[in-house]
Amino acid sequence: MTWRPTALNVSFLTVVGWALFLAVLTGRVELAVVAVPMVFALVAGRRTGAPPGWQIDRTLSTTRLLEDECVTVTVTLRAERPLPLVELLEPLPPRVGLERGSNHAFFTLREGREIRWTFELRGAGRQHLRLDGPHLRLWGPLGLAAAESQHRAPATVAVYPRHAPIRHLPRPLRTQTFVGNYVSPTQGEGIEPGDIRPFAPGDQIRHVNWRATLKLGTLHVTQHHRERNADVVLLLDTLSEVGPDGETVVDAAARGAAALAAAYLARKDRVGLIEYGGQPRWVRPGAGRAHLERLLDTLLSASVVFTYVNRNLDLVPPRILPPQALVVALSPLLDRRFVRAATDLAARGFDLIVIAVSPVPSARAAAPRSAVADVAARLWALERRAALDEYRRRGLSVVEWDGTAPLDAALAALGRRWRRRVLAG
Amino acid sequence: MMRLAAMVLLAVLAALPLAVRPSSPPVTWLATAALVVGGVGVIAWSVPLVTAAGSLVLIAYALALVLAGPAADPLAAIALGSTLALLLALVHFAGRARGAALGPSVMASQVRQWLAVVGGGAVAAVMLTAVAVPLGVALRSATLPVVVIASALGAVLTVAGVIALVTGGGRRAPES
Repeated sequence: MTWRPTALNVSFLTVVGWALFLAVLTGRVELAVVAVPMVFALVAGRRTGAPPGWQIDRTLSTTRLLEDECVTVTVTLRAERPLPLVELLEPLPPRVGLERGSNHAFFTLREGREIRWTFELRGAGRQHLRLDGPHLRLWGPLGLAAAESQHRAPATVAVYPRHAPIRHLPRPLRTQTFVGNYVSPTQGEGIEPGDIRPFAPGDQIRHVNWRATLKLGTLHVTQHHRERNADVVLLLDTLSEVGPDGETVVDAAARGAAALAAAYLARKDRVGLIEYGGQPRWVRPGAGRAHLERLLDTLLSASVVFTYVNRNLDLVPPRILPPQALVVALSPLLDRRFVRAATDLAARGFDLIVIAVSPVPSARAAAPRSAVADVAARLWALERRAALDEYRRRGLSVVEWDGTAPLDAALAALGRRWRRRVLAG
Repeated sequence: MMRLAAMVLLAVLAALPLAVRPSSPPVTWLATAALVVGGVGVIAWSVPLVTAAGSLVLIAYALALVLAGPAADPLAAIALGSTLALLLALVHFAGRARGAALGPSVMASQVRQWLAVVGGGAVAAVMLTAVAVPLGVALRSATLPVVVIASALGAVLTVAGVIALVTGGGRRAPES
């Protein structure tokens, strides 16, 4: 760390030069005298000595948060020798806003004194928020010399996609073998009463239906429906994206997927994730809170990787895409490869719901406002509506979601059609 | 608060040439131009604009001295130099600290430091002026070549000092 002259020296020298030039030109001694305090300041400004010592520490209140939540950054600076003027700056990465305080500060510290500098950052959009560490600049007298250093303490905060609660969750058509919240049509242990049948050896006394027994004259027992869980696989389309950084359709789809994952896991279902894009990735279906964090971690890094290669979902192993699983696809339906894959899944007998994340609002936000853009957006929306109707005619369950309104409202529109299908199936 | 202080310093600077020759149009115009340029510089916290305003004030001061031809007044010149140094330091600091959080004793410490440096400069100027009076009497009898050689040597040393100052310790510290 060495002292270096700042640009203010040039200003001082300019004025000194003018004063001396005018003094010679006019032969007036006053103009030379004007330069003396400035020359003294220039000399005094260079008398900085060795850079003083200090100790600096930076801590973050959390390393994981949801979109629009805040992280508190605390920087502690302790002076080993007096610091006349020290400037601290924590550079902010893009898509990070300052919620409280300032990421730029000046302090004066006496020997042995300590200051705590705190500010809050808000992460806008899912991202790995990376902070490299505060830059530190010591200022000499009058700001004529400065010495710089950086406290390298890289830290990453994972900003997960926010997820709103979902009440109208599409119910899986078929259940699995583990205990869950869905009443299975099969009979067995459970709390939901089913049929009544005559008593058979091996039946438990607590299952005897005394009202039916008295009416029919022989022992009868009540059978129960089993409560089972289901496998849900979220299929995220990362083949294409539209919209400004942080507000793309992939961001909206990731938010929707996070909301669905949290809602299904709360119902004790096993939830898996397939990122269908240039670089396919997946998470095996699982349950529990730890699994939700695994899913959110995968959603955090979901991004578009451009490729011409046509990926096939046949390559996905059955343990990732179990038979009888409910597949919820989130896609802007811009890439024909995804439409083909979704149609193929439905043809293979998977229960498939396609949540079509509309790219029109995202594209509209990215484009400058104009009458032509308005007309183009309206025409695009009409074209998309016609395309979605065509997919519905092919037998796909498609629900349109604009990515900004709550996903629950879009799923409520799907609810009646889907419930009819559940009852029929 | 800092902007008000800078405006007061700028007003003092612009008033000094007018105090030497109040009713001369070129001096008034130059002082007014310096006030406007400096005012914009203070509003925008721009050191280059304030430097330009300082240069204009010096030209106005020189013109006023030539036109009025008063007796030498080193005190006014020291006040002008000190005010200019103070204004440049203040605008530079305010520009750097714009939007930043300031610690509890930063301003008080800075003001103390500025006043100490500028006060030291003023004392040095007074002492130099006091030394210059007998030296001037002695030099009157010296021949012209001696004065020219001494001036040239002084100019070369000044230029060398400036180059060493600007290039010394590597590149200049970035301002952002």
